[in-house]
This record gives sequence, structure tokens and C-alpha cells, in this order.
Amino acid sequence: MQERLAHLKTLRVDPEIPVPFIYRGKKYRGVTGDSIASALFANGIRIFSRSLKYHRPRGLYSLNGECGNCLMEVDGIPNVQAETTPLKFGMNIRPQNVVGTPDHDLMAFVDRFDQLMPSGFYYHYFHRPYKLWPFFQNRLRNVAGLGRLRPTTRMTGNYDELYPNADVCVIGAGPAGIQAALAAAARGLRVILLEARPWAGGCFDYRSSAYDGNVSLFERAQELSRQVKQMGSIRLFRNTAVIGCYANMLVTAFQKGSESDPFDERYVEIKAGSVVMATGCIERPLIFDHNDRPGIMQVNCAHRLARTYGLLPGTSAVFSIGDDLGLEAAVDLSDLGLHVPVVADARFDGQDEFLLQELDKRNILFRRGWIASKANGNRQLEGVRLCTIDGMRFQDISCDTLIASAGLTPAAGPLFLCQAKMAYDVFTGFFLPEKLPSNVHASGRLLALTDHVAIEASGRLAGLKAAKDCGVLLEGEIDRTAEELGDLPGPARGCKLVQAPGRGRKRFVCFDEDVTAKNIYQACSMGFDQVELAKRFSTAGLGPGQGGIPGHNLPMLLAQYHGDERHDVLPSTVRPPLTPTYLATYAGKRRRMIKQTPLRDTLAERRGAVFRRAGAWERVRYFSEDTTSRSEIESVRNRVGVIDVSTLGKFRIFGPDALKALERVYVGDMASVCRGRVKYSAMCNHDGCLMDDGVITRKGENDYYFTTSTGRAAATAEWIRYHTRHDGWDFSIVNLTDAFGALNLAGPDARKVLEKLTDQDLSTESFPFIGYREFMIHDAIPIRAIRLGFVGELSYELHVPSSYTRALWDLILAAGRPFDIQPFGLEAQNVLRLEKGHVIIGQETEIRTTLHDLGLGFLWRRNKPGAKKIGSRALKFTEHQAGRMKLVGFKMADAARPARDGAVVVDDNIRGYVCTSRYSNTLKESIGLALVESELAEIGTRLALFEDNMGDRRLYARVVPTPFYDPEGKRVRM
Amino acid sequence: MFFKYKRMWETFPIRSSYDAVIIGGGLHGLATAYFLARDHGMTDIAVLERKYIGFGGSGRNTAIVRANQRTKENLPLYAEGLKLWPRLTDELDFNLMFFNCGNLNLAHSEAALGAMRMLVASAQFNGIKSELVDAKQCKELVPILDISDRPTYPVMGGMYHPPGGTIRHDAVVWGLAKGASAQGVHIHQGAEVEGITVTNGRVTSVETNQGTIHTPRVLNAAGGYSTLVSAMVGIRLPIHVLTIQAMVTQPLKPILHHVVSSGAYHCYANQTLKGEIATGAHMDPWPNYTTQTSAKYIKHQAESLTELMPCLAGVKFMRAWGGLADMTPDMAPLIDGNDHIEGYYMDCGWGYFGFKSGAVTGKYLAAFMATGNCPDILKPFTLRRYENHNLMGEIASPVNYGPWD
Amino acid sequence: MSLFITCPICGKRNGYEFRFGGEERGPVPEEEGLTHEAWSDYIHMRANVGGIQEEWWYHRDGCGSWFKIRRNTLNNLEETDKRNKAI
Repeated sequence: MQERLAHLKTLRVDPEIPVPFIYRGKKYRGVTGDSIASALFANGIRIFSRSLKYHRPRGLYSLNGECGNCLMEVDGIPNVQAETTPLKFGMNIRPQNVVGTPDHDLMAFVDRFDQLMPSGFYYHYFHRPYKLWPFFQNRLRNVAGLGRLRPTTRMTGNYDELYPNADVCVIGAGPAGIQAALAAAARGLRVILLEARPWAGGCFDYRSSAYDGNVSLFERAQELSRQVKQMGSIRLFRNTAVIGCYANMLVTAFQKGSESDPFDERYVEIKAGSVVMATGCIERPLIFDHNDRPGIMQVNCAHRLARTYGLLPGTSAVFSIGDDLGLEAAVDLSDLGLHVPVVADARFDGQDEFLLQELDKRNILFRRGWIASKANGNRQLEGVRLCTIDGMRFQDISCDTLIASAGLTPAAGPLFLCQAKMAYDVFTGFFLPEKLPSNVHASGRLLALTDHVAIEASGRLAGLKAAKDCGVLLEGEIDRTAEELGDLPGPARGCKLVQAPGRGRKRFVCFDEDVTAKNIYQACSMGFDQVELAKRFSTAGLGPGQGGIPGHNLPMLLAQYHGDERHDVLPSTVRPPLTPTYLATYAGKRRRMIKQTPLRDTLAERRGAVFRRAGAWERVRYFSEDTTSRSEIESVRNRVGVIDVSTLGKFRIFGPDALKALERVYVGDMASVCRGRVKYSAMCNHDGCLMDDGVITRKGENDYYFTTSTGRAAATAEWIRYHTRHDGWDFSIVNLTDAFGALNLAGPDARKVLEKLTDQDLSTESFPFIGYREFMIHDAIPIRAIRLGFVGELSYELHVPSSYTRALWDLILAAGRPFDIQPFGLEAQNVLRLEKGHVIIGQETEIRTTLHDLGLGFLWRRNKPGAKKIGSRALKFTEHQAGRMKLVGFKMADAARPARDGAVVVDDNIRGYVCTSRYSNTLKESIGLALVESELAEIGTRLALFEDNMGDRRLYARVVPTPFYDPEGKRVRM
Repeated sequence: MFFKYKRMWETFPIRSSYDAVIIGGGLHGLATAYFLARDHGMTDIAVLERKYIGFGGSGRNTAIVRANQRTKENLPLYAEGLKLWPRLTDELDFNLMFFNCGNLNLAHSEAALGAMRMLVASAQFNGIKSELVDAKQCKELVPILDISDRPTYPVMGGMYHPPGGTIRHDAVVWGLAKGASAQGVHIHQGAEVEGITVTNGRVTSVETNQGTIHTPRVLNAAGGYSTLVSAMVGIRLPIHVLTIQAMVTQPLKPILHHVVSSGAYHCYANQTLKGEIATGAHMDPWPNYTTQTSAKYIKHQAESLTELMPCLAGVKFMRAWGGLADMTPDMAPLIDGNDHIEGYYMDCGWGYFGFKSGAVTGKYLAAFMATGNCPDILKPFTLRRYENHNLMGEIASPVNYGPWD
Repeated sequence: MSLFITCPICGKRNGYEFRFGGEERGPVPEEEGLTHEAWSDYIHMRANVGGIQEEWWYHRDGCGSWFKIRRNTLNNLEETDKRNKAI
């Protein structure tokens, strides 16, 4: 294991505490604080993966997880970002996309055939002859893809979610972000500060250069962190990567749990009053020949590897940089023991003189206007060719490390996502916010500031502006801070170099997809010369790291192609998530949310009860394994049964205009609704199609109680208020669905059962069919009882306060025992109502089904134009309209063979379909309801039915009148 | 080298007149242009695209194709559409990457199975392969599926539709642009329509940001923006423009071999040839033109997918995007022409079904525009069905006052 | 995109608590003399303005009131120039 620079004060690892892990089946040791990547690097691993197309060796390039180079399989989970994932005890790590070993990949030969694979080559190959395409397609599938997921893989961790509110949300706990947070918190605001790394400090954290006099940058970072800790109203989320950023100040992120957290990862959704972006910069990759060789890494990668993890990136390192941070790193790494033969700087001027002197002091050769143009070495870097920007002079140098960067590029993802208007700035070479959405502020290096004091001042300013958004009055202070910032050094000029001179074939713009600069030109010359088209055709930026590597270079290459860098640099679209995020993390707690009736547990205790999801609810479909529910049906027809119908919508509507509201939404004459009786009616939409049906009764002056179908319970209050929204009527509506349980006690013995529980006169004279009564059971349970006949027998629908539902159920079962009462489920009810020809909305209706089509036109009271009944106009229009689908009852020719639900009615075309069909044991016939074109709706018409896998066979049925059972309705009136 | 890097479509200055102007450089517009040129010898055509070709729904859908629709009006169109992909691949000499993997729709209740039987029977009656499968067969098709009763909505069975699959959506746009351009069609990117002039009930010209174009025929194929174009000629449409979202995970080696979808979970997923799991969500139920994603759906998709296919918890979403869906209340398109205004044609209201049907619709629409007579197969999609309260039955649930929820 | 809506009773809330109720297009027209086309226009046709539109929302997971807001369909932001009123 490589020796750590254990003395560094900037270290974030503890070299004394080892953490064992397994890589490719062998045991290794990292140390506490390591990321997976740093631990592997410490153990001499240089090739982390093989690339997608060409199987080129890839190594550590960045430490921020911008590319797929360091995606590895960890404990069976593919595509784990080794750079940003903390090493844990016993991790089992494997490289990805490797055939053979990372050092000797059997597919590496493909790299030589790159000319056969130009941009979008697959669109031009493999389809001639077409017969061969499936073969190639499968080859392509197997070659593509990175990690391998096993079907048995399970994410076993604990995934949490959190929805905090804050006054100010600050993204990035670097110097600017911390200052913003402190400024807002000092004004009494609640601040959430998000930091992707395990520690705050940002670009100060690992640097030893001077902040101010004797204080170094990392000491300053530690001081700022201390201040954050002391400020109680700042909640710092470490290890928290922002994934989404939306207009309206909604920020989403995920947090990786540390040892002390009770979660592995946690989804965080923050609602804030104002948002400050202080995300800083990443580096813009330098494009030159073989710029992807292991041994080539970015400046901050090399610098942090040494300073944070105590690992020198190599022994001898050439620098090719475009930014002062590169010079600073060269000086510092040289002091730490890295041999630095030469620093090439793509800029001709603008360097910090102090840093140049420091290089000079260390005898490091500085080459102005030079750049790396080619990396030598196969599996690993062995040397570099440097050349002048004009390509005229060059020099070959051997080294094992090249620290390369074209300069900085802002981490502007959150700004793009929240719809800030971004524009390319020629001076800085950055995409800078031209117009920010309201309550969004940007600060720090994101705005191309490089001066330490200015970075902090801009953070402070952003924090104050955010405080102002939250209502804090501080005009003078904002102006003063702005002035102060104005006196400090402004944005720094950026390096605009697009790529090194030369036109080699292997200069990679996008590592993840193996897209080269040449590929981009190919795309352009084929017409894909706009950023988005070039991206899609070449696939640059569509790999696992998305735009992290090509995000800034691609627009610049396109501008270069068009020959005018100044005006044409248009960014490619940034899309969430900004950091790839596990589905497990997004899914979070995965709560199971189901509505249950008050009887759910009671029913679950019954042997054989089979529950099914029905919309929001969970209900019993069968009470035995017999899916025909024969015995349940028989008990209702011959004795007595009881069903839990608590899911029915139950409403009270009252107030001076309650009747008008009912008249508006119900098709019937609501003025005829009276006390002691219910009226059955329906609600339609403007097309006259059935939306809902139910019963209404009047409980008092301007006071009504009504029921709706289960499916409409949640929408009914909304519906009634919607259709009266312009009228200014005075009424109130209360949804009592969850306040009342409901049972339907049905069967010829229903009265006998109920009589045992109440002294209410239940005789049909005193409580007739469609009657409504309120009474007590055992002097304790208040009941609202309705005599209805959905299942076609004497029945009492009993509405009872939810908390009494179970008591009532038990009483009824006890009282019914002498009559052999049986609970019945949804399927039994389905058959019972089918025998009566009653429709279930959604089962016998669809988008085209009007009241007339169902034969329920009689429910419509046509002469009420003043009421503006919903659907009335369409009902008038469609009353005799040709070509509609009508609901018909049918009997199967073969009495023993019902059609299956969904069979289609056919002649030489499809003419309708079967809604429900069952064998009726009551009638000893197979019956059903179907929606058919009107020409087939005549009684006596013979229907040919086609079911799946029937070939040329047909089933036959004949249209008959409904109800099938008890057409005179004697039984419901018993 | 096997091919040259020659331009796939040429660029020209906009002329002052064309035989036909097609508004929208998406799949529908380009397909219509292609077939007008191929089948009807009309090559003096301009396709006007405000951004770049395929910017709209054509490049944002999840590229699923199938022919298992609900109504007899739709089935033949989609079935023919499905057969067109291999032919177009050949004709255009551009690999559209048709991945004929088949589609599995999951049913989570007895009622859903009944509804599926109707779809299967309808498909089979029309000679289209489709079959009902039980939960165990679902698992055989998709081994990573959880068919236990652990999910909120346990799988009870499904509908398997072998002829379906996915296509590389961008390739279709590019291939049709190539084919149209090769026959002389002008494709103008960055050309924004600002007005349509109608004189004496006839279309006469189109105003663009690059000048006036005289033309006797205009097609509104502007997808999500079609109501805005329609408003230029004063025709209002029964459309809600909603944003629909989709997302992909990081690429994996093959693990999901079919398109899987579930109505109860509002979720569908397939693995692209590149290895990403692509999945789509329901729409945000309020009209807007933002094409922005929301925090809700990416989470919702993760919740759904990890219930249905638990191993997917171990992959990462890496990209989410949104596109506009021009939704009609009955989920059927509005294809019409020469009604109200001579020479004005519309092909809009496709909602999120516009991809599967694009090429074949273009074929028939070209016949419509070339002859002025609507082919029978397109007649059911007339706009007038709305005033006749005679909507199509592509979805079962009746029209509410707002868009879907 | 995220949508926040200011309910006149409950205040600013996440848009997913609400149900969209369509563009404001006035009360149902009187039937007298209304053509089918005009009727269909009222019932089904929509403007889909690209910009600010007046529209109805219902606070489903809240107080249950219908109210109008003005929202920009190009960025999904509510225009808060005037106070929303519940009916």
C-alpha cells in the first residue's frame, strides 16, 4: 500500500485505522475516510474500468464523479461511483465492462477499429438484409450496457425520506455558501445548507496557500465550518448531493448516511423561501490525443488526492493547465514530493506572478502558451508530448502522471434546472446567469470569481438578498456589501482553448460513450450541427456521467465548427437528476397506503376471505376458494347474507341552495325528494354519459343525505362545487364516507334478522321498499337504514357511525346465526346484481355510454331547463341518435358456458363487447350484459361472440330483456 | 469506410411559395412530407420547424410501438404502422433500430383482466398477435418481476403483445428527413410560423420569421403546439397541452427483455438497446408549455418500478425529461382537413400516442392532402365528433371537466 | 417544474394538493338558440394560451374550495398580482 502523507493537516483520512476490503477477490486495506477510489489508488490500482465502445483502460480522472471511469460493482450493485462513495468495512469491489482483467482486456483490440465506428455508425449498418438485424441487435445489446445487475439483487439498506422547510436553502458549503448561510442565519432565518462532500469548505478545504496573512485557506475553511456549527439556525446536510432544482424554490437532494446515521441514503425535498446557489466550479477537460489514459487526471483530483487522502498522484507529473489553480497545485505537490519537470499553461498571460515565482524557486520549467497534445503509453501513461498552441514546436517528456485541465467551468447545473437564463460570457468563458428566477441567487466561483475575499463577499451578498426575499429589511446592508464586492477583484478571464492542436482520432470529448472530437465533426458534417442534435447523434453526454465531462466542451466544439466562437456557444440541455441516484433512494420508505373499511380486520379473520385492491380500497372479493361464490349467492337468494359496503360515498348537503345544487348535478327531479324515502338518480357529464348513481333522501329543511358509488366518493364534493362555481349559491357539503360504515343485509330472511336487533317496526307497510328510516339498535347504535334492492332481494342498507360498524357486524352475524347468515363478497354481489340487470359504473359503462344507451333515460327529467342540468343538452341530442352503443342483456345459447368478460361481439367486424357474463346458478343459465351497436340491440338478436384464442369458433347468445331475475321486482318489495 | 459523411438533409433558403407547407418538423410532419413526395409526386414542399427537427414529442417519447389499442377504428391504423418500420428502414437505408421485443401489460385486478381480454380479442379478431397470460407466464417473460402479494397491486396476469417493441425515435425523424430531403423536400430549421392567411375561406399563405410563403395547402403537425397554430386560423381544439415525463437509468447489461407496463402503477419500462431502463410516467394534470420535469414523478416511478421489479432498486436514474402531450378527452387524434377552411389540414391531438402511429398516419395524410379527399381509415378522427357527442372509445373512463388525474 | 398554488384559505401549497379545473370560460351558456357548434365549443374546446391564463383550481387535499388563479403556462408560475378568492 502506498505510503500516506500522514503529517498533512488537511487530511480527511486517518491512516492509523485500516479498513479492509476485497477487490477482484483479493484482500486489500484502505483507511478510515477513504473513498473507494482513493483506497484502490492507494493500493496501486490504476486501471479502474474499461470503456464502453473501445474497451480502453480508464483510471482516476476526477474525484467528483463526473464520468464513468470509476463506476464499479460493489457488493453486487453495479455502477457504484467509486470516487464519491465512502469505503466501508468488507466491501466487495469488482471492475466493470472488463473482459479478462482490467490490465489485459480481451476486447481491447476493438480500439484499433475505431474507424469502422464513426458517429452513429449503427444507423448505417446491420439492416441489410433486414433478416440479419435481430442477430446484430442482440450482439449490440450485449456489448452495450455497463454494469450487470442480477435479478436476485436487493438493496437491503434503510432508505429514508425527509421534507424540510427552510427560509433559505444554500447549495454548496464552500466559502461562498457558508457566508450566504451565515448572513441569512444571522438575520434570524432558518437556513438549510447542502454539501455534497462529507465536509464543508469547498475549494478552500484542501489548499494550503494563504487566505490572509498567516491563515491558510484550509484553516479558513475550518474556521468557517466552526461558525456554521455554532449557528443553531443553520442545518448543514453533509454528503448531500443536489439532484433537482425547480422554479418556486423547490430543491431535491439525496444524502448518504454516515456511520452514525440510521439510514443508508435519504431523499430530501426542501421547500425554501429563497435559494442561494454556491456550487463552485468543476474542471473543463483538456482535449488532446489519448487524453483518457490512466495517469492523466484533473488538477483538483491530483491536488485533493494528496491533500485530502495523503496520496501522491504519481512520481513524476507534467502539468498542462489553463488556470491559476493548476499553478498552485504544481507548487504545492512539488513541495509534497512530486517531481514536476514542467508546467505547460495554455494561456499566454494573466498568470499570478507570485505563483510563477514560486515555480521558478523550485526550478519547475514553466511554458507559456504550451499544451499537452498527445499522451504516450498504452495501458498507462508513459510520457507526454507538449506543444505550442500553434502546433509549431513540440517536446516529448516522459512521466507517469499528467495533470491536465483546460481551466474551470461553473457547476451551473442547478441554475440551468431552475430555469435561470444562461448565456455564454466571452471574457470568462463561462455560462453565466443572465437573468435569475425570482428568489434565486448565485454566488462565488459559479460567477467566475477567484479572489478568496470576493468569493466570500459574494456569498454574503447572496445571503443578504435571500434574507430580503424572506422579508428581512436590510436595504443599506445589501448596498454596502455590493459596494464592498465591487471593490474586490471581479470575475477572472478564462481560458478559451477548445482543444490541443492536431487532429488525432483518439481525443475524447466524452469518456463514457467513447466519443471523440472527430466523431463530433462527423456528426456536424452530416447535418447534426446544433448542440442538441450533435449530442443525440454522437451520444456525447448521454452516458452514465451525463454532461459532466462533455458539458462545456461540446458547445465549444460546435462553435469552433461553425467558426465563430463568440456568438454561437449555446449550452446543451441540463437534465435532472444532477447526480445519478438510486431508485431505492428515490423510492424511500415505500409506504403501503391503502384505505381499509372499519371491518377490514374482522373480515381478515374469516377463513377464506380473499382481499383485492379496488381503487383506493382493499375489499373482500371472495369468502372461499370457490371463485364462482356459489354458496354466498345461494345464501342471499334463499336465506340471508351480509356485505360490507362501507366504501360507498355518503354525503350531507344542506343550506338554502342545496336543492338547486342537487338539481344541477342529478338528472332527476330533485324537488320530488322527500322525507322517509330515497330517490334513485344519476349524475352525467356534459356528454350525457353516466358518471355516478346513488340515492338521495331529505332529512330536513334544506338538508339532504345521499350516496355515491365507491369510485366517485372522493370526487363528488369537488364535482358539485365545480358545477355551481359561477352561481354563488349558499350550501354546504360534507363528505361522510369515512364517518359511516355501511352493511347491506340482504335476503328473504333479512327482516327477521334485523327485527331481533331493534324494536323499530320493520314491516313492509311501515318501512317499505325505497324507504328511509333512522332508528337505534340495542338502544345504543344509531342507524340510517335504506330499503334497496341492488342484489334483488329484500335488503336493508345500514349506515352506522364508523366506530360502531364492527359492533353492528357482530350483532348481525349473531342474530343471523339461526338463519344461517353468510357474509358475501364483491364477486357474489356482482353476480346477484347481474341477475337483476343492474349496472356497475365502469363495468357496464365507458366513455361513450349515455344514460339512454343504458336504458336509464327515464331517470332524466327533461323539462327543467332553468336548472341547467349537467348532461341535459347532450341527453336531448343523443336520445334518438343512430350509431350508438347500447347496453343489452343476453343469454348464452349454451347455458353452461358463460362468455368471458371482455369477449367481443362480432360479425365481419367488431360490433361490441361483453361487459359481464356469468353462469347464474339461480337461473341455471349463462347470462350477461354487453354494449353493442344499436342495430344489434333488438330483443331476440343473435350475437356471435369471439374470445381470445377462439380462431374461427364463435359462441352464440341472444339478446333478452332484463332483469333476468324477478323481472316484476316482487322480491325486493317483500 | 462504409459510408460517407454526407449531409443527411440539405439546407436551402426559404422560397416564396410552395405547393404545401407543413408546420412542424417532427415525425408526423416529416412523414407526411416524405409520403407526399414518394407516393404523390409532390416535392415542392416546405417543412417548417421552429427549433431543430425532432425537438418536440418526436424526440422525447419513449419510442414504444404496439398495435393493441381498444377501438376498431384505431387497430388497423396501428397494425399497419407496425409493419411499416422494417419497410421504412429499408427504403430510407437508415437503421431505425426496431427492437421487436414485445409488450407485456400487467393486470392487477379481475376487472383489468376483463378489460384486457377485450383488447386481446379485438387484436386477434383483426389478425394481430396478442394473448392473455397468467402471473406465472408474466414472470417467465420478465424474470425480475415480483408476482408475490408483496406489491401494493399484486400482479394477477397480463396481456402479451409480441409484435410490439421499441424504435430509436430520433432515427425515425432523421431517416424521414433524409428520405424527404432526397426527394426534394425543403426542411427549414429555425423557421417559426407567425401567422396563416386565409382568404375567402381558403389558405393562401403562411407568415414566418423568415418571410411570407404562398401556398394552397398547410398542415398543422405542430404536436404540443398545435392549438397555438390552430388559433392562427381561428379553429379551437379539444386539447389540453400537458407535460409528460420520462426518465432513464444508467446503462446495464441486458436484464429486461420486453416492454412492461402497468396501468395501476401508471408506469411502463423497457430496456433500450444501449442498456438503459427507460420508464415513463403519467402526466402533470395541468396545461403548460414548460416541458419541465417535476420532483414528483421521478420519485413515483422509482416507487412503482421497485415494487414491480425489486432488483431495479439497485440502479440509478441518470436523466429525466419532459415533453408536451396534446391530449384530447377521448385519447384519439384530430385528423381533419378542408372543413371550415379549404387547404387547411390538421394532424394533432395525438397526446402521447403520436409516435407509434406517426409514419403510417403520414402516409394516409399525404393521400388526403394530395387528393383533398380523406381516406376512410382517417375519417373517424374528425373534429366534428365532439359536437355530435360521439367521442371515440380509446379510453374507457368518461370525460371529466379537467384533464386526467 | 414544480407548481405552488396559493389557496385563498390555506395559503401557498404544493400544486399536487390541488385539482386543475380548466380555463375560465364563464358559466354554462343559456340553451336557448345555442348551436351545436357553440355548445361543443363551450364544453370541449380550449385555448391553451401560451402565457398567462385565468383558471380554476380545487384544493382537494385541503379546504375543498374552488378558486381562480392566474398562471403563466410558459413557466408554471402563479401571478400573484391580485388576491385569489374562494367561492
